[in-house]
Amino acid sequence: MKPIRVLVGVLGMDQHELGAIGIARMLRDQGMEVIYTGCFNTPETIVQAAMQEDADVIGISSHSWEYLYYTPELLDLLKQNDLDVPVVLGGSVITDEDAGKMLDKGVAAVFGSGSIVTDMIETVRNLADGAATS
Amino acid sequence: MKENSTRSGINLSPVYGPSDSNGDYSKRFGNPGEYPFTRGTRAYSGRGWIQRELSGEGDPKRSNEQFKYLMTLGQTGLDVIGDSPTMSLMDPDHPLAQYTVGTQGVSLCRHDDYRELLDGIPLDQMSISSSSPSMFMVASLYLLAKERGVSPGVLRGSVIEWPFYSEHCSYAYKMAFDLHLRMSCDVIEFCSREMPKFHGYLEDTYFFSEAGLNAVEEAALGFVEIRHIVRTLLARGLDIDSFAPRIAILTNCSMDFYEEIAKIRAMRRIFARMMKEEFGAKDPRSQAVNIAVHTSGLSLTTEQPANNIVRGAVQTVALGLAGVSALEISTFDEGYRTPSKEAHLVGLRTQQVIDLETNINSVQDPFGGSWFMESLTDEVEARILDMVNDIESRGDPAELVSSGYFKQFFHGTMGRYHRQVHDGDVLKVGMNVHQMPAEQDTLLRDISEEKIEPLFDRVKEISAYRERRDQKPLLDSFQRLHDVVQTDENMLDAVLECTLAGATMGEIAGILRQAWGTPYDPYGHLESPLGRTQ
Repeated sequence: MKPIRVLVGVLGMDQHELGAIGIARMLRDQGMEVIYTGCFNTPETIVQAAMQEDADVIGISSHSWEYLYYTPELLDLLKQNDLDVPVVLGGSVITDEDAGKMLDKGVAAVFGSGSIVTDMIETVRNLADGAATS
Repeated sequence: MKENSTRSGINLSPVYGPSDSNGDYSKRFGNPGEYPFTRGTRAYSGRGWIQRELSGEGDPKRSNEQFKYLMTLGQTGLDVIGDSPTMSLMDPDHPLAQYTVGTQGVSLCRHDDYRELLDGIPLDQMSISSSSPSMFMVASLYLLAKERGVSPGVLRGSVIEWPFYSEHCSYAYKMAFDLHLRMSCDVIEFCSREMPKFHGYLEDTYFFSEAGLNAVEEAALGFVEIRHIVRTLLARGLDIDSFAPRIAILTNCSMDFYEEIAKIRAMRRIFARMMKEEFGAKDPRSQAVNIAVHTSGLSLTTEQPANNIVRGAVQTVALGLAGVSALEISTFDEGYRTPSKEAHLVGLRTQQVIDLETNINSVQDPFGGSWFMESLTDEVEARILDMVNDIESRGDPAELVSSGYFKQFFHGTMGRYHRQVHDGDVLKVGMNVHQMPAEQDTLLRDISEEKIEPLFDRVKEISAYRERRDQKPLLDSFQRLHDVVQTDENMLDAVLECTLAGATMGEIAGILRQAWGTPYDPYGHLESPLGRTQ
């Protein structure tokens, strides 16, 4: 079976990478292929990388409120490019209320601080499988 | 943390006795104020530490109001952080900055901003420390002092120099390493000449240790950087005693109570020996290093934010016992944001309660001579020195930066820390032990989750400001700066000229990059005012 390909990155001027790198390593340990794009991404660079790398899931890690603006832009840009790749958000700055808003806008899943990693892995796997069969 | 070992992995015995600590008192410790300064850099003063809290949010005016509020609460020094664009040498109207201007620190990019920021702050009395890019803080502080008729010679405070680790950890300058190192050395040299009471070189081990480093790793990487910067300054022909008295260190303080105290004691001793024995410093002030501390943001949790108040208090007690020169507590809302008004109040009051009510400052270095603490200090010191040697044996540290060695190192520690918290090796009450359902976890949550909106108006204001300036003197100053970069001259005079001509930080940084043969805007959005062919 083809391994699941997950793109992991951080947006804008947010330069807190600890969560992103931690998750990237854990996904890799699960046999997934992680394309780690680091910091200073924009919706454009994420979409471009997702296309080039044929990503099954996009994971955005956030320790800055910039995600509130960039995430809707990213979702729009994916739509414009006819790219049906689910977006997962993670980060301790994401409050329950904001998580709800992001889910309403079309984010596939949100993980705040203290989320159970096995839940995250399971979610990514299900989303990737869903994307493959849809 | 495994039972009976420190976070750095040092095994601890359940009980210590006379056989655990021996050696010559004067060689290993010395009295406070005496070489090798293990027990403190000054003889007993009973004065305690400079009490301050991290500040800076929104525009300079709002931050100035914040400073004045903190001063009414009894804060005795300023600690200013820039927002992420400012910290990364980027102006607010850069396309990548738009959604974060003023949200995680203050937005600063021109001399007028510093005028507003420090309006009404007595420059000759208040110690002003800042983690915003040193060259620009120093240039504006110097100019401001002159504008207000204050001698730059009386300015106190500090700026941080971080050429080794900033690119790969927290705030990237997107600059060639050699250029960043030169900026740092120019600032240090300028300060030691023009602002001799000001610390032009604060070695900030805090920010990179938040990448999940333990105490030994934090100190070791700090000393690798200190050593390299000192060697570079000596190679310029400077006398060690002309700048070393104004080197200070800003460390982290995690929750590993004893090890953090041992780390600070060990760092004072290592610094003293390095300066005296390796670099030949004769002035005792060159050997005695002031250590300031910012308590660990990484140790805090977004769950049950009130628990963070306890963490800050415990860390403050540790630092009071270790004897530090200044401290900031990472406040209870740190998981979400820079400190709110309420968090500032609690942070400062925590420091004041410990300082004024507990008698903590009545005795200096109370752990001195403790079988346990002395043995732990020795062990931490030995491991720090081993690690410094190990890193330096891998090659010229400057080349290790360029080859990505430290980047890999930080990625490794970040992954390790993430796993330690996940696996419960590092326990965090409320997060991975003693959790509670979200609906019950309400204490202080509303305050913690309050956001700071990005300043879209400031983006417009800075764009308009660019057009308003008299272009001729501005371009002349850019050309002069560009030329100076090609020489060995200190760049500060040319930077001062640009600053007075109305240049922004982003422009000056861009000209420096361009003169170095690298892109003016590393993100590829902006054109240089000097054009492409310079």
